[in-house]
Amino acid sequence: MVTTSSGTQMLDYLGLSELFTPEEREIQRSSRRFLDDVALPYIGQWWEEGSFPTHLIRRFGEMGFLGPTIPAEYGGAGVSSAAYGLIAYELERVDSGLRSFCSVQSSLVMYPIYAFGSEEQKREYLPKLATGELVGCFGLTEPDGGSDPDGNMKTRARKDGDGYVLTGTKMWITNGNLAHIAIVWAKDDGGVVRGFIVPTDTPGFKANEVRHKASLRASVTSELVLEDVRVPASAVLPGVKGLKGPLSCLTQARFGIAWGALGALEAVYTEALAFSQTRTTFGKPIGSRQLVQEKLVRMLSDHTKGLLVAWRLAQLKDAGKLRPQQVSLGKRDNVRAALNAARSAREILGGSGITLEYHSIRHMLNLETVDTYEGTHDIHTLILGRDITGLNALE
Amino acid sequence: MKFVAVIRQVPDSESRLKIDAGRVDLSSATLILDQMDEYAVEEVIRLQEKHGGESVIVALGPERFEEAVRTALAMGADRAIHLVQEGYLDPITQAEALAEALRAEAPDVVLTGGQQADWDSQALGPAIAEALGWPVVTWTTALELEDGQARAKHDLDEGAEVVRVSLPAVFTTQQGLNEPRYPTLPGIMKAKKKEIRKIPISAASKVEVLEQSIQERSRLGKVLDGTKDPHAAASELIRLLHEEAKVI
Repeated sequence: MVTTSSGTQMLDYLGLSELFTPEEREIQRSSRRFLDDVALPYIGQWWEEGSFPTHLIRRFGEMGFLGPTIPAEYGGAGVSSAAYGLIAYELERVDSGLRSFCSVQSSLVMYPIYAFGSEEQKREYLPKLATGELVGCFGLTEPDGGSDPDGNMKTRARKDGDGYVLTGTKMWITNGNLAHIAIVWAKDDGGVVRGFIVPTDTPGFKANEVRHKASLRASVTSELVLEDVRVPASAVLPGVKGLKGPLSCLTQARFGIAWGALGALEAVYTEALAFSQTRTTFGKPIGSRQLVQEKLVRMLSDHTKGLLVAWRLAQLKDAGKLRPQQVSLGKRDNVRAALNAARSAREILGGSGITLEYHSIRHMLNLETVDTYEGTHDIHTLILGRDITGLNALE
Repeated sequence: MKFVAVIRQVPDSESRLKIDAGRVDLSSATLILDQMDEYAVEEVIRLQEKHGGESVIVALGPERFEEAVRTALAMGADRAIHLVQEGYLDPITQAEALAEALRAEAPDVVLTGGQQADWDSQALGPAIAEALGWPVVTWTTALELEDGQARAKHDLDEGAEVVRVSLPAVFTTQQGLNEPRYPTLPGIMKAKKKEIRKIPISAASKVEVLEQSIQERSRLGKVLDGTKDPHAAASELIRLLHEEAKVI
């Protein structure tokens, strides 16, 4: 029974780590140690400055954080889905921005190339994406809205000789200004969604960084503008047509978020617990007060149940039985639980909780984004509602 | 050349240990590769990278030690030998059992932690050297091999010295010897397939542990409020340091 984190030990009230393989446990410990050394002491500063630590990209590559489930022949580490989840957990325990970087690179860039790419595309891009030599981004959402990607997709891929000409705008694109390649989803002349690997130095491609964010400040967010971007036929991902292409990528990323959010939850819970044991009011530590204990217990309870859900999703995923709706449940519930926990932790910390000296408010603000992106809380509610009633509220 | 790191698994220094029926209860502790042994693992990997040959992990301890052995293999060592025995063995008895395995391996260099985090003992490395009849350098902070000899810098109580020592020899580690690498995901996955030869042993401990207790470290926890009258708080602090703590 582990009621708080210490050293490399994760918060684990039900001893769930006994269900992990020895390799998964080792990956969790090693990831935490690495991130506690290279990222945790500096994250508040990066967040405040609004800068992503680009010097860590190659280090993430060395650790194997980029495309970890991809087979070794393409530069990945070939680890299990639970191991991938634990990496997301450890990254987001530091900051949702670091986890977002790795989620995009692994699930939204490397995964579609691995799943839908030609052999040449896999050999050309995957090993370099795995080391961090190349950074990728994923362009699906457009300025008119993200929740209806098909209805709102105005980006077009016009056939032109042997290749295509891409025109359109993508919005809220993580890693946009860092990326060497963009996976761009666009409708072809027949109105069918296709995926394209677009080098970001192609004429007509422009990335504009989104400024003035009050959330995910240690992460690069961009608008992508494509004006007559000409790509050869070899840039098309040949293995998929239609919206299921990008949606299947999002299922991968959402799976990681279901784990990652619990890392943030652990961080704010641990901080609030420690604070409640030392801060005294009316002669007693505030942790002795019922109102505070109730908040702490709710956080612990949500973390414990969320971890069981995340672990089960990993088992289903490796068995090839995972349904996207099940991932919706994990993403929806775990992120909202983490967001609520961060708000409670901020409250327990009192005045201290409003500064970046503590982690809780940073997690709280980040989690507003995580609750919104990759399918908003409400959209996942309606996906689940449709699944259980057979009645569609999304049309 | 062959390089051996002798390692142990110990509770994480941040783990909260409990005493149950006069024994340390490790059930809620995180158990890790001893951080002083981690320097030994890093050093044998570096020696192998520089001089070629083989890096081998040798451990003596209960079955649970395997996780620490895997950590060492995940850092990059080639293979491991695990002498398996449950229960407590004193360091001298451990050293005798380890010496037998080490003699069979015939390494050029043996490294182990300068201190064992669980017993807070520094005996194991010198005891291994004694059992083998090899020279020992303790608290090593730098190690170079040249012409079948080693040149090592090591800490003394109030200083340091550089020594030349014939091989084979035993070295114990000190902080600063190197910066251990993190096990990477590919390293962890490769370690799964590396050989761990398990050899059950039944050595008789010369020391029997009858009872264990944990030192209670309670603080006076006196907190002065300096927000209202900092001058008065500072005077009070000086008075306490002078009259009660007697440090100034």
